[in-house]
Amino acid sequence: MAQVELKNVGKRFGDNQVVEGVNLSIADNEFIVLVGPSGCGKSTILRMIAGLEKISDGEISISSRVVNHVPPKDRDVAMVFQNYALYPHMSVAQNMGFSLKMRRRSKEETEAKVKQAAEILGLTEYLQRKPAALSGGQRQRVAMGRAIVRKPEVFLFDEPLSNLDAQLRTQMRIELKKLHMKLETTTIYVTHDQIEAMTLADRIVVLKDGRVQQVGTPIEVFENPVNRFVAGFIGNPPTNVFPATYSTDGGPKVDIGGLTLPVVNGKSASLNDGDKVLVGIRPDAVKTGNKIQAMDPAWRTTVDVVLAEIVGGQSLLELTAHGHSFIAEVEGHLTPKPGEKLEVGFELNRMFLFDPDTEESLTA
Amino acid sequence: MASISKDRWLAIATLMPSIILIGIFVYGFIGNTFYVSMTDWNEEQALSFDPEINYTGLENYRYLFSDSLSPEVQEMLAQMQETMGDDFPDDISMFTDPLGTRFRQDMVNAVFYSVLLLAGAVGLGMFLAILLDRRPRGIGILRTVFLYPMALSFIVTGTIWNWLLAPQGLNQLPTAVGLDPIQFDWLSSRDQILTFNWQRLLPVLLYILAAVLIVWGLMRLRRKGAKALYHLLLPGVVIGASTWLFGGFLPDVLMMEEPHGFNLATLGIIMAAVWQYSGYTMALYLAGFHGISLDIAEAAKLDGAGPFGYYRHVAIPMLKPITISAVIILSHISLKMFDLIYAMTGWDTATTGHPALNMFTTSFRANNFAKGAAIAVVLFLLAAMFIIPYLVSSYRKKKGVA
Repeated sequence: MAQVELKNVGKRFGDNQVVEGVNLSIADNEFIVLVGPSGCGKSTILRMIAGLEKISDGEISISSRVVNHVPPKDRDVAMVFQNYALYPHMSVAQNMGFSLKMRRRSKEETEAKVKQAAEILGLTEYLQRKPAALSGGQRQRVAMGRAIVRKPEVFLFDEPLSNLDAQLRTQMRIELKKLHMKLETTTIYVTHDQIEAMTLADRIVVLKDGRVQQVGTPIEVFENPVNRFVAGFIGNPPTNVFPATYSTDGGPKVDIGGLTLPVVNGKSASLNDGDKVLVGIRPDAVKTGNKIQAMDPAWRTTVDVVLAEIVGGQSLLELTAHGHSFIAEVEGHLTPKPGEKLEVGFELNRMFLFDPDTEESLTA
Repeated sequence: MASISKDRWLAIATLMPSIILIGIFVYGFIGNTFYVSMTDWNEEQALSFDPEINYTGLENYRYLFSDSLSPEVQEMLAQMQETMGDDFPDDISMFTDPLGTRFRQDMVNAVFYSVLLLAGAVGLGMFLAILLDRRPRGIGILRTVFLYPMALSFIVTGTIWNWLLAPQGLNQLPTAVGLDPIQFDWLSSRDQILTFNWQRLLPVLLYILAAVLIVWGLMRLRRKGAKALYHLLLPGVVIGASTWLFGGFLPDVLMMEEPHGFNLATLGIIMAAVWQYSGYTMALYLAGFHGISLDIAEAAKLDGAGPFGYYRHVAIPMLKPITISAVIILSHISLKMFDLIYAMTGWDTATTGHPALNMFTTSFRANNFAKGAAIAVVLFLLAAMFIIPYLVSSYRKKKGVA
C-alpha cells in the first residue's frame, strides 16, 4: 500500500533551478511514467524520490510518511539504473541477494527469495555467473531481480531499457508490463522515449524544463495535449503545426494560407475574428482512400506527394498543399508514389488549436 | 615463404643493442652471481691479484642455513686442539662464525619487514583513500600531502625518522601534556618477541592448518552441515591430534638451527617505510575508488549498505586487482629496504639487519664474495617468488585480451 505524494517539489543546483513546483499524487500499484526531453528534470525527480538527491523545496512522502530526511535505505524503494549498476565482482545470485544480506536476513530466506525472483525473470540457470558473462538483456533482468527480491513499496526505473537494442527493448518492455501486473507494486519509470511512456504507463507525466506540463492517461495526453510541446513530444511522427488565422465567417474556421478548415471542437468561443492561432493536426488524423468518402468536403483537400516512406503496415508521407508541407501516416497498401496528386481528408474533430504566444491549447 | 620482412629486420636491428646490453649486464651478471655463490671466493683470495677460485657446489648455502662451521674455522679449531690439548675449551660456541646465525635472523627480520610494511601500507593507504573518497574539503591538498613522502628517497625518509625516533624526539611528545616521556628505544631496543624455535616450523604450520580447518568448519557447520563436518572439521581435528601425538617424529627444519623472533628495534624502520608508502597505496586506491561508477555506489546505498558496508562488500572487493598490484609492488620494495635501514641504523646493527644489508657487508666489508653472492641469490629467488606469478598473470591477461 504505497502512495507517493510530491508536494510542490523543487530542486536547485546552486542558482540553477532544475525542478520546480512539481505536484504529483501517485496511487498505490500505479505505473507512472515521467517523460520529457533530456534535461527536463525527470531523473532528478526520480533521484529525489529515491533519496539520492536532496530535496530543495517542497515535500515527498511515501505511504503518508514524509521522507525528505529519510536516508535511501530506509525509504523502502528499489531502483533500476540505466546502466544496470551491477556489482561486477559478485555472481548474479549475490547481486540479487545483496540488499537482503545488508538487511541481515537469514541465508535461507535470501536464497529462497533470490531463487523465486530468478524464476520470475528466467535467470535460474545464470545464478552463478558474473555480470560480465551475461548479455545486455540478461544484465537488465538481473538489475530488475535485484529490485524485486526485497519486495519494496516502490520501484524506480531510470531509463532502464535505453542501453538495449531495439528488438530487445520491445521485448523487455512487454516483460516489464507483465511483471508489474504480477507484482502489483507502485512503479515510477523515467524515460525520454514516448513510445515506452505510452505503452507502459497508467498515467504519463510530461515534463519540460523542470515543470510538469501534463499528467494524464496515455490516451488523454495523446488526444488532448495541453500545449504545443506535449502535442509535439507525445506521438511519433510529431503533430503537424501550422500558423493560421481564425475567423467566424459562416461558422468558426481557421485559414492556413490558402487552405480553410472548419473548427468543430474546442473553446473557440474565446477567439475573435482575425486572431492568430496555431493549428495542430496529428499525422494519423490525415486520411486517404475510402476513409474520406464519408467526410464533409470541407474537411478534404488535394495535395502533392513529395516523399513516401514505407514502414510496413503504415507509410509516412511527406505532403505539400498550398505551400505547406506536413506529414501523414497512412495504411501501407495505400502508399502513393512521389509526384502523384492525392486527395486527403482531415479528422477535424481531432484538430488542436494553440495560442501562438503561450502555446497553450485552446481546445483541450 | 621463410624470408623475413624489412620491418622485422628493422625491429631486430633496433632492439639488438639493448638486448645485448641487458643480456650481458643483467642476465649475464645474474648468472655470474650464481656461479660465484658456488665457489670458495672468500676473504683469503680477496687481496689476490689473480685469485685461485674453486667450485664448491652448494657449500655456501649449506653454511648459510646450518650452524656448521666453515671449513677454515674447523681447520683452525683442529690445529688449536692439537696444540692446546686439554686446555682446549669444551664450549666452542665463541668460535662459531656469526654469519649463518645472523643471516637467518635477517631472513626472519625480512619476513616481518615485508608482512608489516604490506599490512601497514595497504591498511593505512586504504583507510586514507576511504577518508578522501568521502570528498572532504581540501581533498586536492590532502592528496598531495599524503602522496608527497613517496617523492623522497629512502635516505631522506630514514634521516628524518632517525631524528624523530631519537630519545629526545617523538618520545618527548607526552611531556607536552604533562605525562612521562615514552621510554621505548625505537631503533636500539634489544628486545625480541614471538621468539620460537624455527626448527619446529613443520608442527607449528600443521597446528595452524588444523586450527584454520576447525574454525572454518565450525563456521560452515550450520549452513553446510555434513559437508563441512567431513571436509573441514574432521581433517582439522585429525591433523591437530596427530601433530600433538606424533609431532615429535616430524623432522626438524634444518635450515633454522636456533630460535628467532621479532626484533622490536625494527618497529621504527617499519613505521618510516609505512609512512613513505601508504601515500602511494592511497593514491592507487583513491584512483580505483574514483573509477567506480557513481551508479554502483548509489545502488549499494539503495540496497541498504552504509558507508562501511559499501567499502567492505562493494568497493574494496571490486579493487582486488589494485590490491594485488599493491601487494606485489610493496613486497618487492620490502625486499629492497637496504637504503632505509642503512640510513636509520647503519649497515652493521644486527637487530635491524636485513639480508640485503648482510649481502653488502659480507661481500664488500668482509670480502666474502662467494657467501655474499649466495645471500644475493637467496634474495633473488625470494623476489622472483613475488614477481613471477605477477608477470605470468599479467601476461595471461594480455593474451586473453588479444
